[in-house]
Amino acid sequence: MNNIALGRYMPLNSSVHRMDPRAKILILLLLMIAIFIPAGVFGYVAIGLFILFSLMISKLKISYALRAMKPIFWMMIFLLVVNVLVIKTGTPWIQWGWFTVYSDAIYQTLYIVVRLMFMIVLTTILTATTKPLDLTLGIEKLLKPFEKIGVPAHIIAMMISIALRFIPTLIEETQRIMNAQASRGVDFENGGLKEKVFSILSLIVPLFVSSFDRAEQLANAMEARGYDPNKKRTRYKVLKMTGLDIVGMTGSICILGICIFICITKIGM
Amino acid sequence: MDAIRVNHLSFSYDGQTDVIKNVSFSIPKGSYTTIIGHNGSGKSTIAKLLIGLMEPKTGTIEILGKELNEASLYELRDHVGIVFQNPDNQFIGSTVADDIAFGLENHCVPQKEMQTIIEESAKKVGMQDYLNSEPTKLSGGQKQRVAIAGILAIEPEIIIFDESTSMLDPQGKASINKQIKALHSQKDRTILSITHDMEEVAQSDFVIVLKDGVVRLTGTPMEIFEHEKELEEMKLDIPFALKISKKLVDENITDKKVCTLDEVVDQLWQLK
Repeated sequence: MNNIALGRYMPLNSSVHRMDPRAKILILLLLMIAIFIPAGVFGYVAIGLFILFSLMISKLKISYALRAMKPIFWMMIFLLVVNVLVIKTGTPWIQWGWFTVYSDAIYQTLYIVVRLMFMIVLTTILTATTKPLDLTLGIEKLLKPFEKIGVPAHIIAMMISIALRFIPTLIEETQRIMNAQASRGVDFENGGLKEKVFSILSLIVPLFVSSFDRAEQLANAMEARGYDPNKKRTRYKVLKMTGLDIVGMTGSICILGICIFICITKIGM
Repeated sequence: MDAIRVNHLSFSYDGQTDVIKNVSFSIPKGSYTTIIGHNGSGKSTIAKLLIGLMEPKTGTIEILGKELNEASLYELRDHVGIVFQNPDNQFIGSTVADDIAFGLENHCVPQKEMQTIIEESAKKVGMQDYLNSEPTKLSGGQKQRVAIAGILAIEPEIIIFDESTSMLDPQGKASINKQIKALHSQKDRTILSITHDMEEVAQSDFVIVLKDGVVRLTGTPMEIFEHEKELEEMKLDIPFALKISKKLVDENITDKKVCTLDEVVDQLWQLK
């Protein structure tokens, strides 16, 4: 459980760490849009190279980003199985008695997996290089214009920040409960489906109870320190855009432009 | 002038069974008061009522002469700070500096003044070298010291400690108790500590003993420790130092019972 990388802040000294959180969020959004544009192999290569470059300058290890993908491994396998069973178009690649694996099934799975991987790595870079409170501030500032139409920008930002702040705490809590239940004979590794469901229940129920308890205690601590979401507050951190933020955003706009161009002209598809 | 005055306070979680029953007490300004009692006696409930996190069923609470109600709640919270039991569940910031800044942001302290206040508050609790540290990198005692720094930053006149040392190791416990004592000696600050630690109780000026939501005993630590049997019934013990002191008096080695370890050492030193 302690190896889960998604959502964890990594205190390193890199240029990505020093970037304005607003710029990082905007870059993430632009690249997320680009990922969902059907831009073929060239489009994905462009996005992939941009992500790889970001990963390098953020000083995060590739193994760290790969670790973030660990939780979706079984989902990828499940997707492959479903696609192989359902999709019956394209060139037959493997024939095994009555069972045939078609090329489209593999391509479709690969597309989904690559998209998911890109999204997870991008989110990991954002959360690993941005402190939760900076992220909150960035989201709040970006949503500020929408307050006029009733979007509770600060409340949304605070909720996200607290959720991110508590990821490591909840991971530790999960590990503690798993150890406690294992010491009482619960087997999380072996057993049939029924046993697995019961073992997971024995983990989830106390985890929910303790999470609600934590939430109440945190709310009390925040309120006792004078927090009122509807009251005016000053901010300790002041955000400032630098040249690197502009370069990053321009880069992601270019990637999005390339993907749209490929999608419209069908070049290389 | 009383820092806190509680008049005929009652409270119920379910609207039927009262967990606080017609409680009245007052805490003088600048005093160090402790509230003790067995688990479920209503100690933490009183702390939450004093900070306005829950509304009393009946009775009133006055903070620095002003009644605590919906209208005065936020104003009075500027004067009262609270440190809770679990250090993990009160750490809001992603670093020590961010966490200390949280209260300042809520109290609309200008951004330019924040850095100095943060540094000064961290220094008071010996956490000045950890300003950029994350909560996961700190020990329980260090997290509690950060929580105290967060409270000190807003300079409240009253600080409530709600079993703040109960989840700490002996070293962390000793460090926080030392901190509480130091805070009390500074600036005529009122300290209210809810605790199970009888060594801490021995250091306070005034003690309130709760049993099943009712105030059973009030007085100085020595007056309270005289009721040894009653304390035992409430699953409370007298401090170890007092036990030694009693034995010394029984053996005619010393002539006066004392309840802190420092006092026992002083007595023995004088014998020499």
